[in-house]
Amino acid sequence: MRRKEQHTWKQLFPFSWRDCLLASVIFFCAVVFCALLHLSNSGDGFASPIFVLAVLLISRLTTGYLYGLVAALLGVVCVNYVFTYPYLALNFTLSGYPLSFLAFLGVSIITSTLTSQAKQQQELRVENEKEKMRANLLRSVSHDIRTPLTSIVGATSTILETPTLSPAEQRDLLEDVRDDAQWLIQVVENLLSITRIGSDSACIRKEPEPAEEILGVAVQKFRKRYPAVAVEVCAPETLLFVPMDAILIGQVLSNLLENAVLHGKTTTKINLSVQCDGGDALFSVRDNGQGISPHLLPTLFDGTLKHGEASSCDGKRNMGLGLSVCLAIVRAHGGTMEAQNLAGGAEFTFRLPLSTGGEA
Amino acid sequence: MNIREKILVVEDEKSISRFISTILNTNGYEAMQARSGQEALSMITSHCPDLIILDLGLPDMDGMDILRQLRSWTSLPVVVVSARSHEGDKVSALDLGADDYLTKPFGTDELLARVRTAIRHTRTVSGNDEIAQKGTYTVGDLVVDFNKHQALVRGKNVRLTLSEFRIVALLAKYAGKVLTYDFIIKELWGPRAGGDNQILRVNMANIRRKIEENPAEPRYLFTEIGVGYRMAEGE
Repeated sequence: MRRKEQHTWKQLFPFSWRDCLLASVIFFCAVVFCALLHLSNSGDGFASPIFVLAVLLISRLTTGYLYGLVAALLGVVCVNYVFTYPYLALNFTLSGYPLSFLAFLGVSIITSTLTSQAKQQQELRVENEKEKMRANLLRSVSHDIRTPLTSIVGATSTILETPTLSPAEQRDLLEDVRDDAQWLIQVVENLLSITRIGSDSACIRKEPEPAEEILGVAVQKFRKRYPAVAVEVCAPETLLFVPMDAILIGQVLSNLLENAVLHGKTTTKINLSVQCDGGDALFSVRDNGQGISPHLLPTLFDGTLKHGEASSCDGKRNMGLGLSVCLAIVRAHGGTMEAQNLAGGAEFTFRLPLSTGGEA
Repeated sequence: MNIREKILVVEDEKSISRFISTILNTNGYEAMQARSGQEALSMITSHCPDLIILDLGLPDMDGMDILRQLRSWTSLPVVVVSARSHEGDKVSALDLGADDYLTKPFGTDELLARVRTAIRHTRTVSGNDEIAQKGTYTVGDLVVDFNKHQALVRGKNVRLTLSEFRIVALLAKYAGKVLTYDFIIKELWGPRAGGDNQILRVNMANIRRKIEENPAEPRYLFTEIGVGYRMAEGE
């Protein structure tokens, strides 16, 4: 119980040096401004509104009630003591004094309340968005799983129940089964990646890994599955250690490579590269396929990629899951991700910060 | 008639056990199946298999415990099969004395390659006939010469430093087998060397720049993410 009280106390009056500094600066500006106006003998009436504005700004821009209240108190003192006749003397008998004090307090409390409400709503919105993304994900996963399962069950029962099938026909069906199963494996790997990121993105374990090793492994895996597609890998001459969860980044690369084939359609060649770019490692997957359809491009990464849209150009395989997993992984590493169409084909790039700094 | 190597497949999933056994039987091995840890332990003592393929997730006991029990009395090769894709499990299984591992899902060629390597490494002391006879190890265009302490690519000495050569030699000696970072570090720099594998990985990058055409696309020295390195097997 007590802990809870402490908790709410801290929530209402959180302390941070940033807010402290901000409040001081705003208040100082107000004082200086008033002092200047006062020196130019513009009368008394200006002080109150200026300090009200300062209190309002402070309450709005800082977190919690503390700074606003302190500013209100100091504001009243300043107005009363410094900038209103009689100068440099507190005058409690001055008519309107209690009123101005109440007004200052009111401004401060109402603004702080509005601010914290806005923040709460913002948090709620983020939470909602996460929830929506999760729902989208589930939907796309269910679809991703159902389609190949249907075809696997169909193909295998056909083989078992139709003894008249020629060996070639059987072979075709079995190859489909294998492809579908392999696709399912990829889906499951993606799901495992999500559980590995966990709900809290701060918990991924980053370790410095040589970028070339990660590329090498991703390409090796990819070659096994798509021996017909040429892949060119390019890593910098000087060894580049990039802080990352190697398994997760491997998943990103294999998703991007696979997308390049499945969604590039006509892809025959993929360029995979990593280079040092400023404070980041810049990974790029470039293909010579048909590119990303322009109406998908703007919404590619916001997790709203609906199945219908993605599959209209594709048939059955949805790139929603793979890409949203990529994005989630890269973001969890504190990186960014982009996609663009090139003259012939598409390019997906992502950046991972090279500093091991604690950012999530 | 050849005597076929006996392989015990310890796996509780019927379908997986069956497909592994079928592959092994059609590839010149004799497969036996055990569905539980207890069954496996009794079959090992009664049938003396040449290799065990051990699933870590068994219903009655932890695969790691079986491995520990086995290693207390035999060095029989064990290839661990695990659905856990977390590399920590692989590393601890290897540290407990497993010879290699397969991560579900795996392909038939991968399975056969692991089995072949594991059996070969128990048959000859050095793990490789060529090394024993000629003092060299050949894979593709790469020749590792143990006598002269040098590595040649297409007949040309690539001038490895001493520690670089020792890494290559170690991996070549156990060609086809995954060696953990810890194992390599201890073999090279002694049991008290620190647990940091950064130096090893820098060394590996340098070796690859000398041996491989494209270090990001190795033909000889493969990375096992989070686990260690593996040298390609010669023909």
